[in-house]
Amino acid sequence: MITTPTKLVNAKRTKDSPVKSSLFRQSIRKLSKNKLAVSGFVVVILMFVACFIGPLFSPYTDNKINMAMMNKAPHLKHWLGTDALGRDVLTRVLLAGRISLTVGLASMMLSVFIGSLLGALAGYYRGIVDQIIMRIADLLLTIPSLPLLFIFGALLSEWKIPTDYRMYIVMLMLSFVGWPGLARMVRGQMLSLREREFMQAAVVLGLRDRRKLFNHLLPNIVPLLIVIATLNIGGAILSESVLSFFGLGVMPPTPTWGNMIDAANNMIDFQERPWLWIPPGFSIFATVIAINIFGDGLRDVLDPKQKR
Amino acid sequence: MSTYLSKRLIYMFLILFAASLLIFCLYALTPGDFISGNIKLTPERKAELRDIYGLNKPLLERYGIWMSNAFRGDFGFSLAQQKPVLQLFNEYIWNSFLLAVVSTFLTWVIAVIVGVISAYKQYSWFDTLVMVAIFAAMSIPSFFIGLFLIKILAVDLKWLPPGGMLTTGSNATGIAYLKEVIHHMTLPVVVMTLLGVGSLTRYFRSNMIDVIKQDYIRTARAKGLTERKVLFTHALRNALLPAITLVGFELPALFGGSLIIEKIFNWPGIGQLYMQSFGLRDYPLLMGFTMFIAILTVLGTLISDILYHVADPRVRLQ
Amino acid sequence: MKRGIFLLTSLLIASSLLVSACSNNNSNSNSASKPVDTKTQDTLAATVGLTEPFTATDLSKLPAVAQKRTDTIIVGLTDPSGAFTPYFQQSGYDGNVSSLLYASLVNVNEKGLPVPELAESYDISDDALTYTFHLKSDLKFSDGSPLTADDVAFTWTILHDKAYDGDSQVLTLNIVGGAAYKAGTATTITGIKVTDPKTISVTLEKPNATALVTLGSNVLSKAYYGKDYKFGQLDYIKKLHEKPVGNGPYTLEKFIPGQEVRFVANEYYYKGKPATEHFIYKTTEGDVWQFVETGEVDYASFSATQENIDKLKGLGYLNVIPYTPSSYGYLQANLEHEQLKDKAVRQAITYGLDRKSIYVDASQGAGSVANIPASPISWSYTEEGINPYNYDPEKAKELLDGAGWIVGAGGIREKDGKPLSIHYLGSKSKNTDIFIAVAKENFQALGIKFEPEVFADFNSLVSKVEGGDYDLVSFSTPMLTDPSDGLLQFVDGEIKGYDNPKFKELYDKGLATTDIEERKKIYTEIYQLLNDELPVIFTSYKKTVYAYNGRIENLTVSPFIGLAGSLPNWSLK
Repeated sequence: MITTPTKLVNAKRTKDSPVKSSLFRQSIRKLSKNKLAVSGFVVVILMFVACFIGPLFSPYTDNKINMAMMNKAPHLKHWLGTDALGRDVLTRVLLAGRISLTVGLASMMLSVFIGSLLGALAGYYRGIVDQIIMRIADLLLTIPSLPLLFIFGALLSEWKIPTDYRMYIVMLMLSFVGWPGLARMVRGQMLSLREREFMQAAVVLGLRDRRKLFNHLLPNIVPLLIVIATLNIGGAILSESVLSFFGLGVMPPTPTWGNMIDAANNMIDFQERPWLWIPPGFSIFATVIAINIFGDGLRDVLDPKQKR
Repeated sequence: MSTYLSKRLIYMFLILFAASLLIFCLYALTPGDFISGNIKLTPERKAELRDIYGLNKPLLERYGIWMSNAFRGDFGFSLAQQKPVLQLFNEYIWNSFLLAVVSTFLTWVIAVIVGVISAYKQYSWFDTLVMVAIFAAMSIPSFFIGLFLIKILAVDLKWLPPGGMLTTGSNATGIAYLKEVIHHMTLPVVVMTLLGVGSLTRYFRSNMIDVIKQDYIRTARAKGLTERKVLFTHALRNALLPAITLVGFELPALFGGSLIIEKIFNWPGIGQLYMQSFGLRDYPLLMGFTMFIAILTVLGTLISDILYHVADPRVRLQ
Repeated sequence: MKRGIFLLTSLLIASSLLVSACSNNNSNSNSASKPVDTKTQDTLAATVGLTEPFTATDLSKLPAVAQKRTDTIIVGLTDPSGAFTPYFQQSGYDGNVSSLLYASLVNVNEKGLPVPELAESYDISDDALTYTFHLKSDLKFSDGSPLTADDVAFTWTILHDKAYDGDSQVLTLNIVGGAAYKAGTATTITGIKVTDPKTISVTLEKPNATALVTLGSNVLSKAYYGKDYKFGQLDYIKKLHEKPVGNGPYTLEKFIPGQEVRFVANEYYYKGKPATEHFIYKTTEGDVWQFVETGEVDYASFSATQENIDKLKGLGYLNVIPYTPSSYGYLQANLEHEQLKDKAVRQAITYGLDRKSIYVDASQGAGSVANIPASPISWSYTEEGINPYNYDPEKAKELLDGAGWIVGAGGIREKDGKPLSIHYLGSKSKNTDIFIAVAKENFQALGIKFEPEVFADFNSLVSKVEGGDYDLVSFSTPMLTDPSDGLLQFVDGEIKGYDNPKFKELYDKGLATTDIEERKKIYTEIYQLLNDELPVIFTSYKKTVYAYNGRIENLTVSPFIGLAGSLPNWSLK
């Protein structure tokens, strides 16, 4: 291991710098060849555009109830029909998409942020920091997540959080149960990266901790993080729907795909009113599948060796 | 190995101890208790009952009592069901286990086969199709697909029963009983397999892709072995090895039941029992169940680590 | 009232969990082909629905599974747990099971009036303090042993044990000497006297019109349940839960946890062996339609929406009967909060809330608006002198203005610089979603800030209410037998902050006499008082339909005791 350090660093640099400058462009080029991934990406973007811009063109954004228009099948005025309170399903699906997509994105970012930060700290500093962080993660991992979510759901109502902010709570809950697994993975990566030659070189060079951590270690796990993050968005959207099923999700009348589909989750609506469950169901399905396919494509490009 | 084991065991106990404290506090903090759900009781009677159940004692004292009883193997009586918690576990867990073990088995078999083939034919149309199908299966909310299949297969087509584990009132024994149970578990098993098969297939696929690129596979081919032999004896074995560690992680899932699937399919499993007990704040049962899962999780991790060592002796246990 | 134990749980716990899953889910709407004009809908709700029992049109459509059953009837039940000893069970579903295993001394008829059952007759002393029960002769438990007055005495006695953890209402009757027994200072309860094997009397400390039915509940065998009894030790009963010895129409054949409770006809039943040999309570989670359409259960209840009724009729093999439960729904108002302390504000909310849209139109006729704490089927129900509080936002605004709540900045009313806001709690159900959606608009129009909160589980909701952190909360009472049952919450401290001496006086008066005509008058007066004062905001009466396999004969449902009354007579044709 005690080879001439300067040589090693130089070698690394010459090898690294050209790759680094074009890594991004190179990845894009590679990715654009993967038609499946591109189409996934397009669907996700379309979904975002539709949900965030679409409702602006709807005459029904006030979400007003209209008893005279209960449960109408799709027709000219209401392209996707109306629900049990006479509200326009199309508008609601789009508005719901805003919430669901935001919840998915935000809870992903939060858990990736917490997870990678704590995992990186643990893996880098080891010793007592590692002990504390990983023991907490171990502890949280021993408690099954759904019961944990139930308890949180019940606890949080005590905190007097206005219903309108319920969606932030849902995000917090999801990222809280999501981070330990991620932290563990990042820590593992860190531990193995630490032992790599370029890091030993960095140690010999006497670089500061922060520089080592942020300039040398973290960039190496960014591809992994990007992939995980993408795949996590889909997971979070699904989790929100499961929370809605248990009544712990975002509260109606604020629509989400999850609570819309839950509201139509009964035999009569299955049979009589497909327009109540197909739109939110299809939205979840299309979004999650598109995000996953895109994430998978990203993985192939960024990190061909990474498993799972 | 033995020092490693004893170190691990001590650590396990510490983690479980911490977990028990955490779980106890969380449940204790959850608003409402077993008594408050019964709004017919007068405030005085509520106080009396809390006294009988010991719910008015300080938190730490309650925890101490619970812990010391648990150490003696006594997990107490379920308040709602009026039965020892362990007896209830025994009545319900095996039903959950049955579902889980069958669907896990199916998941693994399908995942291995599909994963190997699609890895071998990476980027072929088959591979693409499989990937899309896998992601599709992962993209449906489980509660929705469950009820939807009941609607189609049980209510409309009447091919399968809509839920439960036995034909009501049936006194079947032996083969007839077995057939009946299989008939009833088909739907939940299909849904569970559908939901689980995706991620595992992807795992095997990427493992397999890695292995196929290795030198020894090239060597095997160069030796002139048939493609099938290369794939299934050389490549698959090596691709499966790291998966062995997953076995341990499946442990809690095997016995823990599925809250959603059991609820939808009316399956008499531990997950459903937990759901009902949570609504009633039946603390002895809730504590017992959550601890049980915690123990399984910790055990599962240990098993995984040991298996990992067995699979790849280069990995040192520390 | 004794039914209250389990009906309560089945209504309250279930209404938050399961019943909502089966009935509320389906309560939503008009099918696409129905006329849409609101006005026509009003008349629709009034004229259609189900007023007459409907008889199955085509029994050949009955699913094969149900066709095959010749001596078995199956009814769904959410979740029996196995504690089948009456008085000692915690779940209402276990109460449903034990109501088949045990008969009562006195029961109530369709009108909610007491009728003797195991008792041949009963006498009430003139001071309404002493109740004497005369048992029928040759009564037997399901193991063939005789049932005597000693068994009755034993039953009442162990309920007074200090270790007793059930919720029997017998304890609230204040039997003479009961407290001393509970304290351990007496070895028997002096107020309970066994005169001979067929006669027992009990003396209360103060009169209580519900005493007859409460006392006249199930009888436990002293020889079986009292064998190991020592004062302060009741744990042994838990071991007997799954091996009940009863005296009801059925005995327990087998309990399969999480799946079924199987019964077989009891040959020692005092009315004779029931017509159908086997009866099964099947554990049913999930959408009730799936079990009815596949013939897995023979009987189910549905919310009385037009859609449900049409679909049930269309299946062809079901008899459908309309049914109004004896409960009522209400919004409990937090009387300790400044804004709701004022009667005028409560009245304004009642006027300003479009209850008809919420409870009648949006639930497609499966409900009606309530204005008093008694169901239309109760003998005490009246509309005489009752304000219907028809939806009238203008009147509501007037009342709010009059009460000093003036529209301030942002359109929200204020008084002394405090905004008028309503924090509402509800349990997760489709009906709650409807309520919130409509109420949000109604309150906005009145200038009230509306903050709804929904709870996934009933327990959290109740503890939030206990903590006082709410303004309005949706509740429904359990099935009510005696009119006083529906009023209990106003006197027992449950509705905090309601303290009206006149009401208390009338309440006691209503209980002090057993003369029905006399009581009717008193309750009319009470209802008028409460209708004006609105300590709670009355919301709705539910309407349901019962659908059952057309092969079952002799089925009737009592609003007060449910199925248990007619069940021994059910037969399959």
